[in-house]
Amino acid sequence: MHRLLLPAAALLTALLSRPAHAVFRDEVGHVDYHHALLGLPQRETTFFHRPRRDDRASLLYTLSDVGIVGAVNPGSGEVVWRQDLVGGDSRNRSSREEGFMRAGEGEWWVVSAYGSAVHAWDAVSGRNKFWVGVGGGNGGGVVRDLEVMEMTESGPGRKDVLVLVEYQAHGETLLKRLSAEDGDTVWEFREVTRDVPLQVSTNVEKVFVVSLKGSQGAYNLKVSVLDTLTGKKVDELVIGAKADVHGKEGVMFVGANSAAPVVAWTDDARKTLWVNLLGTKTRQEFPLPPDTVEVEIHAPHLVQSHPHFLVHSKTTTGHRGEVFHVDLKTNTISKAYTLALLPGPGSFSTSSNGANVYFTRITEDEIILFSSQSHGVLGRWPLKMGNSSATALHGVSEVIKKPGSEESYAVRAAAVTDLDDWVLIRNGDAAWTRPEGMTGGVAATFAEIPESEDLARSLEAEAHSNPLEAYIHRVKRHISDLRYLPAWIDSIPPRVMSSVLGKDVASTSGKLSRDSFGFHKLVVLATKRGMMYGLDIANNGRIVWSKRAFNLPKGAEWDVKGIQVQDSTGQVTILGANNDFVVLKGDTGEIIEAKGPSSEATTQATALVDTHSGQRLIRIGRDGKIGEVPAYQAPKQTMVTRGEDGGLKGVVFVPEGTTSHESVSWTFSPPQGQRIVNIASRPAHDTVASIGRVLGDRTVKYKYLNPNTIVLAAVNDETRTLTVYLLDTVSGQILSSSKHQGIDLTKPIECAMAENWFVCTYFGQYRLRDNTAQSIKGYQVVVTDLYESDEANDRGPLGDAASFSSLDPVDVPTGDVIRPAVVSQSYVLSTPLSALQVTQTRQGITSRQLLAYLPEARGIVGIPRAVLEPRRPVGREPTPAEAEEGLIKYHPAIELDPKSVITHERDVLGIDRIITAPAIVESTSLVFAYGVDVFGTRVAPSYLFDILGKGFNKVSLVGTVLALFVGVVMLAPVVRRKQINMRWRASM
Amino acid sequence: MSAVAASISLPTWAAELKNPPAYKSKQAGIPDPPGYPSTQATSNSKKKDAKDTKAVQRKAPTPDEMDTLKLKKAWEVALAPIKSLPMTGIMMYMSGNSLQIFSIMMVFMAFKNPIMGIIGTNQAFERFETETNRTKILQVKLTYVVMQLLALALGIWKVNGMGLLPTTRSDWLAWEAQREAVEHAVPAL
Repeated sequence: MHRLLLPAAALLTALLSRPAHAVFRDEVGHVDYHHALLGLPQRETTFFHRPRRDDRASLLYTLSDVGIVGAVNPGSGEVVWRQDLVGGDSRNRSSREEGFMRAGEGEWWVVSAYGSAVHAWDAVSGRNKFWVGVGGGNGGGVVRDLEVMEMTESGPGRKDVLVLVEYQAHGETLLKRLSAEDGDTVWEFREVTRDVPLQVSTNVEKVFVVSLKGSQGAYNLKVSVLDTLTGKKVDELVIGAKADVHGKEGVMFVGANSAAPVVAWTDDARKTLWVNLLGTKTRQEFPLPPDTVEVEIHAPHLVQSHPHFLVHSKTTTGHRGEVFHVDLKTNTISKAYTLALLPGPGSFSTSSNGANVYFTRITEDEIILFSSQSHGVLGRWPLKMGNSSATALHGVSEVIKKPGSEESYAVRAAAVTDLDDWVLIRNGDAAWTRPEGMTGGVAATFAEIPESEDLARSLEAEAHSNPLEAYIHRVKRHISDLRYLPAWIDSIPPRVMSSVLGKDVASTSGKLSRDSFGFHKLVVLATKRGMMYGLDIANNGRIVWSKRAFNLPKGAEWDVKGIQVQDSTGQVTILGANNDFVVLKGDTGEIIEAKGPSSEATTQATALVDTHSGQRLIRIGRDGKIGEVPAYQAPKQTMVTRGEDGGLKGVVFVPEGTTSHESVSWTFSPPQGQRIVNIASRPAHDTVASIGRVLGDRTVKYKYLNPNTIVLAAVNDETRTLTVYLLDTVSGQILSSSKHQGIDLTKPIECAMAENWFVCTYFGQYRLRDNTAQSIKGYQVVVTDLYESDEANDRGPLGDAASFSSLDPVDVPTGDVIRPAVVSQSYVLSTPLSALQVTQTRQGITSRQLLAYLPEARGIVGIPRAVLEPRRPVGREPTPAEAEEGLIKYHPAIELDPKSVITHERDVLGIDRIITAPAIVESTSLVFAYGVDVFGTRVAPSYLFDILGKGFNKVSLVGTVLALFVGVVMLAPVVRRKQINMRWRASM
Repeated sequence: MSAVAASISLPTWAAELKNPPAYKSKQAGIPDPPGYPSTQATSNSKKKDAKDTKAVQRKAPTPDEMDTLKLKKAWEVALAPIKSLPMTGIMMYMSGNSLQIFSIMMVFMAFKNPIMGIIGTNQAFERFETETNRTKILQVKLTYVVMQLLALALGIWKVNGMGLLPTTRSDWLAWEAQREAVEHAVPAL
């Protein structure tokens, strides 16, 4: 019987060795979904800008907190273009670089700075115009500010870019003026003063560099005045008395590019605001309203605008605004009017239209438009933010004075809310909402849609009562279920119709219910900003709920260490590093229990362990310490944790009376000079369908299936070598190790493991051992298979033993450890891989794919395991037996087939991690990728062999059956008559 | 009754259909066309009618001779399966080892024929069996069974060639259990 399957299986594998179509055209948007996100727009780097001078249509530009620069169509909320400034290595994204973005009025380009690079982009298409690195030879240069010079000597048509760079290492300040045409340096201004450069500003005649002079905690503001044409220092002004500025944060604002740029700062108590008109020596003092906790200043960015600015002071309960005017003739600043204190949080934004400056105030329930001239309200709209109760934190606005009618205005404001959404409010109505908070995902998990609670409860009741009662209860339940029958019957025709026509079944009014294929699940995503999202992956990744777990302090990130779903109750537990946790309902997002983060990071990792009282998610403290636990809660397994010396250790719990204390059972310290860079373990759900691989001659190579193995990648910084260890996690023994030379340590090194194989990817350059004239250079992927023995039909030293123990080895000639037989092969790729993951299916029958994010191609690729096969014959054509097995001739380079890119035409940015989960149907694995973008799909590595694809023509099938039926019905009387006639004639 | 009435009113051709007219002796000098049954009929009738003329040439076989004859015939029957074996073998070789309708049918026939033959051994030799040659027929029967088994072996060879016999380790792989680990570890990294 099994034998009969073999040729079919061989045929299947032969089929699979061909690159599989990852996605069919009609499945796009049906099986996959994509949230193209930008990240949370920042207050200073978001603006409306008209990319074409003579076109009134404007786009909304932003540089977000995750380093994505992009343009959004303000009408529809769709992304026009996006660029990733962080690049492929997502490790840089968490370091929170400061970004800047500016656009020159009437120019067709925008310019952004992030880290140590300045980019100019075509405002319409997003193509790179020029790119200037200011990091310097040895790095260390960081852009501190960026401005567009409004007027230059070469006429009004040209605008240049000013870049302020700080080289912290040698206390150098550099101001560069770059030509907007090609990024060439027009002039440079250098200063080695150990001052802290803050910002650069310019009015029509001068360039001002504002920096902090002095020592930590006691600074003075210093303004260097430069000539716009040459960049020579004209003047240097030190403002105010000694030590009234405490740090960079104290300086609120440096007015950019207006006719009268100002610098404003406050004291620590937020009682007084000092304002200095740049270019003058005097500072003016204004008292701030009592109880002010935060101050923001809003001013127009255009030279031709009135020199007015608004001071937005926030108290714990409300917010207010004060508008100031600058008199250009006398260089004095005067308070014009005050906008009353309103309860609740609110935001102000500035919009200028020629000389007119408008301030838009978004409160909790209203959006109010003022002119900077007087406190008269120009427009007032009630705020309708959809169903969410979010409030705007900051925003940008665009005010259009309607032609024709006097004093009639239209305003649209793009605001970031406290739920990390980006909302466009058009005259008070929410036009669109972008869930930008989903960027910066740190943990995600698949969750089953919980069965209805009543059903669960009655099933439990039936389980606990005696059989007769349970039966009666059940019959009663079924009878009461009959009331749903009419509705169910009603739902049949549309279901049949949609099934026949191949359309999607409309989700029943947002109600979540499982489906028979297991495709309908939820994904719970936690982000570093403390938000949690529930996504319905069967309905195009719709956001079912979004909740804020905690209000994190500014600059803090939620460091999620563990996320676990209890499918029986539908509860999701999220453990954070700072002793914080959240327990919530997966289907509604309702928070059942939560504890905010403490100031100290106490948790290094978490693990789901078996204890005598069921499974528990436990915390591992710093340096792998867990501490004493009650005996009934002690983990039964060995726990593998990171030790204090950067190595690994195995921890077991030894019972001692009613408590258990931890005891180190083994330690693994990487050899001198090596450090561990990546660890991969087999996924929790790793079902193995067959314990051996059938070779072409019908012999079996038995897989080494040890659940207690992990793969460690350790690098040596001096020799630039990578050593990959395979460790037994019960005994701590090294089962296998391999060394790779010429590693680029700045490039990511990652490993993934499944079943009896693991892969590692890195960038390497080395000479071939057998042919030193030839060298290999590139992104490589090494795949290793583990078998019980080198020989076929051999189960190794343990023979037919039904169990094995890593601690109790048998006598083997090779030593005291049973080592797997290792087959390994490396391949070169044209592009780096990151976020490695292996597909998971329910029973593990389906062949596997290695999923990886391609940072340079901005896509996710699924490499079939048959391509990454270490047993591919090298230097010769495969024998017929090998061909039957599906082995193809080894070729060092793997060409990533565009058809195997599961994101196909989508532009997926900044994926940090990919998670997979099995569906109920064996053929399919659910995939979810997060990071900046959120992408999800279903993959079928061996094709959809157990369900009908969308291409299956049900209409023709049903049509054929119907036609046959009609034919039979019509022919039946004819045939019957003929048969009767034959009977009568037969008497002859 | 009605038949009588019908026979009275029947046309001649119909009546002749039921009761053919007497055979007209052929005219001398006109030979029958070759293969015309009249010659057979005449020889048969001669054998029956004019036994004496035949008896002059061939004596009636004795029971011993009959036995020998029957035995000879039985041997022919017994060896018949092996005669078709080379042909079957060549066809099987030619049809290849893949699973196709042709080779599946051939394999089916290769199994069905010998098995049916073995089951029907007694019927096959019933007509050759007499009281006296029973022991000898038994030998023949045994040979027949062996021959059928040979044919069956060919079928098995074919099935083996097609990879349908569970003779290798891989066929029993599904029944082999995965080796369980005694201890368990959980990564907490």
